[in-house]
Amino acid sequence: MIRAVLATEFLKLRRCKVRWGTLGGLSMAPLGLALFMWILREPGRAAQLGLLGAKANLSGLEATGPAYLSTLTIVFGVGGMLLLPFIVAYLFGREYTEGTAKNMLALPVGRHWFVAAKLVVAAVWWFVLVVVVLAEGVLVGLALGLPGFSVGMIANSVGNALLAAAISFLLVPVVAWVTVVGRGYMGPIAFAIAGMALGNLFGKTGWAEFFPWSIVPLMIGMVGSPQTLPTASYVVLALTFVIGTAATIATLRLADNAQ
Amino acid sequence: MPVDTIIATRALTKRYSDVTAVDDLALDVRRGEIYGFLGRNGAGKTTTIRMLLGLIRPSAGEVSVLGARIVPGETSVLGRVGYLVETASAYPNLTVRENLDIQRRLTGAPCAAVVQALERLGLGTYADRRVGRLSLGNKQRLSLARALLHSPDVLVLDEPANALDPAGIVEIRELLQSLARERGVTVFMSSHILAEVAHLADRIGIVHEGRLLEELDREELHAKARAYVEVGVSDPGRAMGLLRAAHFAHIERITEGGNHGGGGGGGDILRVFDAEERASEIARTLLDAGLELTRLAPTREDLETYFLRLTGGAA
Repeated sequence: MIRAVLATEFLKLRRCKVRWGTLGGLSMAPLGLALFMWILREPGRAAQLGLLGAKANLSGLEATGPAYLSTLTIVFGVGGMLLLPFIVAYLFGREYTEGTAKNMLALPVGRHWFVAAKLVVAAVWWFVLVVVVLAEGVLVGLALGLPGFSVGMIANSVGNALLAAAISFLLVPVVAWVTVVGRGYMGPIAFAIAGMALGNLFGKTGWAEFFPWSIVPLMIGMVGSPQTLPTASYVVLALTFVIGTAATIATLRLADNAQ
Repeated sequence: MPVDTIIATRALTKRYSDVTAVDDLALDVRRGEIYGFLGRNGAGKTTTIRMLLGLIRPSAGEVSVLGARIVPGETSVLGRVGYLVETASAYPNLTVRENLDIQRRLTGAPCAAVVQALERLGLGTYADRRVGRLSLGNKQRLSLARALLHSPDVLVLDEPANALDPAGIVEIRELLQSLARERGVTVFMSSHILAEVAHLADRIGIVHEGRLLEELDREELHAKARAYVEVGVSDPGRAMGLLRAAHFAHIERITEGGNHGGGGGGGDILRVFDAEERASEIARTLLDAGLELTRLAPTREDLETYFLRLTGGAA
């Protein structure tokens, strides 16, 4: 059954403009970062072009390969906490906004299969985005000719970015649950923004490694220096994934669907 | 429960905080029967249909379809049920064919079923058009095609004639009749349009404020419509007195336009009930008293009027 449900979930993405929107949005990040690095490296020319070299200097960043790559990792962490919830909200929420939830839920298909298939589609969508934009980011960084690049450093940064993107995914079932409870897009988007704000707030406390929405900021260095996560953080994230998935399935099975 | 009962509800109730949408509903729909579930807007028709499909959980009572008790998440018999709930809806960025293909894959129907459904509902020329660009009527056809695609044994249709033009209504009526007669498909359809239900249904349940007011077959429905003699007369007030004195017990005075009332307008007419065979006696009574008759018409209440009378609307 999962094959049939997956096939239909991928079919639903046909001619969907949102996927191009997410690609366009995320792929702007390396270009923006590259521009920032160029301004830092060439403040005089940037000023001639009317770009704000002084403000760029205030960021504390240097125009080096390591700075570029560590900031790129942060981009994927932030993307995982904002863009990924948007993707999940779209996949689950469209059934309510397009009025098709009532059709879907009366089919002879266990409702857990829909949750599983939508999460798989979200994972594939997110993975493709990350790989494409990560490749773009590395190529743009290399083209910029920043000092300090090395193969080992690039591999390490790519690994960190992929890990940040992967562990961000463990938070999304909770977003899916908020979407099916709220039956639309606004709830999960507001939830994602609140999650990111709380994550940053808790990130400055001693409990950061145990609060699911602080773990990604902690790992990528959004709230201090990048840290290697303790095992407990992975356990917390895995539990978040399991609880979020179970809550989404339970809501679809038990709650009234009076769309 | 009779052996050939396909849909049954027992003491079915749905409450939303202080609102009771469906109240103690007991229905039996037999195999191959077209059951018309008739009620005004907000009567509880769609809520009942949602419970039949396991979309919402009853507050009390139970539903069974094809012998299986239906609760949310129960899917064992849903593969044998086709349905249309409330408004027609489909994925707007997909074509008609792609939308049907989703239904085909998830119901396990063969590939040929999509083409058959397109032809059956007259959607062939729109097969590759995106649903977002379809007219409302064609969206309704698509929803019906989706309901029929996997050749279900039971059809649960919420207002199937919505948005269809008159020719489309006749076409769907004939299609449903042929499915019931030739394939033994059981059809449970809701409607607020009495004429449509009266044309199509073998049996009709009239629901109002969540309660089943009456259940009757088509012939009974016609028989229940009351007969009366409509009388236009120069002095309706005096005429009422004369007719009562002549033992016509049930007389209503209505103003032209249909409102009941006791006003003394000269345009008022009288409806004398249970007097189909006594029209000449009415005429004689009034003419002998020197009144002028402007109208004398034996009439049978139409079904709409009967429905409105039963559900408390203006007749």
